[in-house]
Amino acid sequence: MTHPTDDLTALLDGALAPARRAEVEAHLRACGACRAERDRLHGALALLGALPPPPEPSPFFTTRLAARLAREPAPSAGVLARFLAWRWRLAVPVAGLAAAAAVAVLTVRHQRAEELALAADLDLMENYELVASLGDVETEEDAAVVASLDQLGRTGRTP
Amino acid sequence: MTQDPDAALMLAFQRGDAQAFRVLYERHARAMVAYCHRFVRDAGRAEELAQDVFVKLHRAAHRYSPSARFKTFLYRVATNHCLNELRRGEYAAREASPGAPEGDDAPDLDALPSPRASPQQELEATRLAGAVVKLLEGLPETQRAAFVLCRFEGLSYQEIAETLETSVSAVKSLVHRATVAAAGALAPFGPETAQELAP
Repeated sequence: MTHPTDDLTALLDGALAPARRAEVEAHLRACGACRAERDRLHGALALLGALPPPPEPSPFFTTRLAARLAREPAPSAGVLARFLAWRWRLAVPVAGLAAAAAVAVLTVRHQRAEELALAADLDLMENYELVASLGDVETEEDAAVVASLDQLGRTGRTP
Repeated sequence: MTQDPDAALMLAFQRGDAQAFRVLYERHARAMVAYCHRFVRDAGRAEELAQDVFVKLHRAAHRYSPSARFKTFLYRVATNHCLNELRRGEYAAREASPGAPEGDDAPDLDALPSPRASPQQELEATRLAGAVVKLLEGLPETQRAAFVLCRFEGLSYQEIAETLETSVSAVKSLVHRATVAAAGALAPFGPETAQELAP
């Protein structure tokens, strides 16, 4: 058995499947180097657990949030519908039949992906709503620019 | 699918129950401020970011459908927002500034230990907090997010995978690499430090 170094953190986190955990633990009983590495990682986790807690929200946090929410306009279904329509129209040339097939297969997994996509698209939606609130987005070129707004400032992103 | 009480609250808010949103906020506000603070290390800015997250939730409520745990959805929104914040120039400039103090010379003033700690403990906690700040700043952003979600927010690998929209095996790798980096960065601190500072 090769050294299961890459599994040591998952072992400490209790995230290994039972069979794999048994293999790694058997290896650790026979390998001092891997035990030392496990102990080194465990020591780091203990130090992280000893960090002082982050600050509590200030007494004004709730008040400020309530004030912001009070200024929020009611969600505009019209704007969102237009946003979704543009997204769909822009997506068709790219995704083609694959997108149509994906829409047809409404599984739980797909719903989950849509929900996560919603989380990812919130910034984009807000950019669109902001632009749409300032004036009409009438051309596909304008819509393409709006659809790319969230890419601004993403330079230097590392995987 | 409303076994998740948070998802049920979000659905209630969709139906017009404003109090449901307030309950959601009360359940998660503190964690959101703490999470955002791990990224920006400024109490005021962390509060603003956490407020932004709740405003986004408020705006998107009518599109929400409970197919995954609400907590996963919430951290996804917060992670995207915090990473976008970090990509803005001011943070990159501050971290790259040759004149700016860094690492253990720049302790996180918002996370200083309780005044009840001894001066020695305060000093050690400040050094440790500074080393962790430097560690986080040096991690690639996805590793950083996975590490913070795992080590400070207590999310499972599965939940992190859903939050970051990646696989569990990828999360395992991200968390492992970041933990190895942490072991290197925190090597100057011995196990006695953890014992001294443990709550």
